Amino acid sequence: MNSWLVFLQSARLRSGVMKTLVLVGALVLLLPTATAFAGRSSTGLLAFYPCTQCHPVTIGADGEPTEPLPIDLEKHEIVLEVHDTLGTDERACLACHDDPTRNPGQLILPDGSLVEIMGDVSRVCQRCHFEEYSEWLVGIHGKGQPKCSAAGCHDPHTPSWIYIAALPPFQGTGLEIRVVSEREPFAPFAGPPVPAAVETPLWLTIASIVGAFISLSALGYLILGRFKR
Amino acid sequence: MALVTTPRPGVKRFISVDFDLGALRTAGTRYWAFVTILLVGLTLGGLAWGNAMTQGGAAMAMRDAYPWGLWFTNYMYYVGLAAGGLVVYASVHLFGAEQFRPLSRLAVLLAGVFVMMALLGIITDMERPWRAVWMLLTPNPTSPFVYTGSAATLYMIVAFFDLWLLFTGKGGEKLAFRMTLIALPLAIYMHTTTAFVLSMNKSRELWNSAMMVPIFLTSATASGVAVLLIAAYILQHFGILKLTAKMFRSLSTLLATVIIIDLFMLFVEILSIFWPTSAKPGHTMRFSEFLTGRYAFAFVPVLVLGVTAFILLSRRSTRHLPRVQITASALYVIAVFMKRYSLMSMGFAINPLGQYAPPYAPSLTEGLLAIGILSLGMLIVTVSAKVLPLAVPEDEYGHGEALESGRLEPIADGATESG
Repeated sequence: MNSWLVFLQSARLRSGVMKTLVLVGALVLLLPTATAFAGRSSTGLLAFYPCTQCHPVTIGADGEPTEPLPIDLEKHEIVLEVHDTLGTDERACLACHDDPTRNPGQLILPDGSLVEIMGDVSRVCQRCHFEEYSEWLVGIHGKGQPKCSAAGCHDPHTPSWIYIAALPPFQGTGLEIRVVSEREPFAPFAGPPVPAAVETPLWLTIASIVGAFISLSALGYLILGRFKR
Repeated sequence: MALVTTPRPGVKRFISVDFDLGALRTAGTRYWAFVTILLVGLTLGGLAWGNAMTQGGAAMAMRDAYPWGLWFTNYMYYVGLAAGGLVVYASVHLFGAEQFRPLSRLAVLLAGVFVMMALLGIITDMERPWRAVWMLLTPNPTSPFVYTGSAATLYMIVAFFDLWLLFTGKGGEKLAFRMTLIALPLAIYMHTTTAFVLSMNKSRELWNSAMMVPIFLTSATASGVAVLLIAAYILQHFGILKLTAKMFRSLSTLLATVIIIDLFMLFVEILSIFWPTSAKPGHTMRFSEFLTGRYAFAFVPVLVLGVTAFILLSRRSTRHLPRVQITASALYVIAVFMKRYSLMSMGFAINPLGQYAPPYAPSLTEGLLAIGILSLGMLIVTVSAKVLPLAVPEDEYGHGEALESGRLEPIADGATESG
């Protein structure tokens, strides 16, 4: 016992303990410093215009659609999550799809001219998001991603959804992620349903108590026997 | 030259091994008191298994959020502990580390028993264990469990066969060397596939890291060597083994080396998770739970105990002290268990949908099952320490060196029955 006390009080151990504390302290300070986001979005293609899901297009011998897409905004019921600030009902649609003929395939630019939905729609976004547009032009926004239209990455109706391409060797059509603003604290989903309680029969609990008593008695005998010896 | 002990009263020879049953009759009351504790644990484990078989999953704390429980923590842990035995055994036969030869029988015994305990964890977790045969008959090749389960079974068989060879001396040094050539890759395969069970889960971001595999190997080796060192001290204390301070110093140097590699790997993994340009939100968020969240109680001690253990062993002036070696080993054995527990439970704490689940705590049935399996393993080693010739005869010391230098001919098959 004395040798233990001498060892615990030794200067060598104290210096060892100090080193441990310094190392652990450094680790604690270092580790929680950064949380970051890293993702690879965009394929260079427009990912959020699934017009043909509802309007199948057949290409004729001349390379043109045999039947043009219908022109109206009816039945286009889209729930806006972020762009709900644009208004309600048709007013929200007309904020971007402001074509006199109600052609949803035409979008309005800042100068009042129209652009095809498959064209450079970034300038449509520029009308409100001019800062992001300027940053995107000079390569700050969307840095490292293939240069493409804004809708190559963002869902134009809910821009916080971003399309992520499947990178090799993974197969598939990619996935969508939702960006949470840095100013917005992370809010986890609600927890799963409360699990069912564990069923422990009374006899097993009693057996455990009896077993613990016997084991502790034997352990006491072992420890006391050591001292008596 | 006789390689087996001469039969004497109380010694029964079975499968060419001398079982000294007479030693049990002369064992003291303190030995039997310890055996009583283990038998109580074993009985409680048996009762708990009966309860699990009759009640089904309701008796376990494993629910939708935690499909794996304490049994899997113990599976990873025991498989890892088995590594130490093989490292020591292999270093004798492959690398000529003759100072470890007196430990070889104990090392292989521990390796076999630990893997057996790991497999028992799987068996007792099955509510219909007799259906286990279907995993062998209709294996799913995309499931890593098929590979780790079969590797563990093979490893256990190889370990016990190795032990039998060491007891009987059959095949001599040559066969022991060949068996090591089989056992060492098998052990690496087993630990790698165990890590794959976690790292190949794309939906569990905490585990989905290639670093999991080398960390598993180093943690396994470090904890295995640590537990072997403790067991060696205990058996030396009771006069079963006669070991030298030089051997313990070599073992603790090996332990310190593996610990620092293990800690380095862990540090690299943590750095990759938190480095701003490499961090993935899901991974970072989950790992933060380890450090500042609800699982910090289990993971922060891993760092503290691990670093403390290394510092204790890093000082050359105190490394030779038994109390330093035992303390450092015990700290690391505890640290690796905490690591396994937090790794398993934290992996499930936030599910792929981002839903948080309350921390996992095993039920009484699961706890008793674990105690039962631990008691069985300790009982086997305790009885083996009395009954089996764990001490390596001194005439075998330096056998490998002599064989290598050509001073000793390999022992031919069947030449060991002369005793």
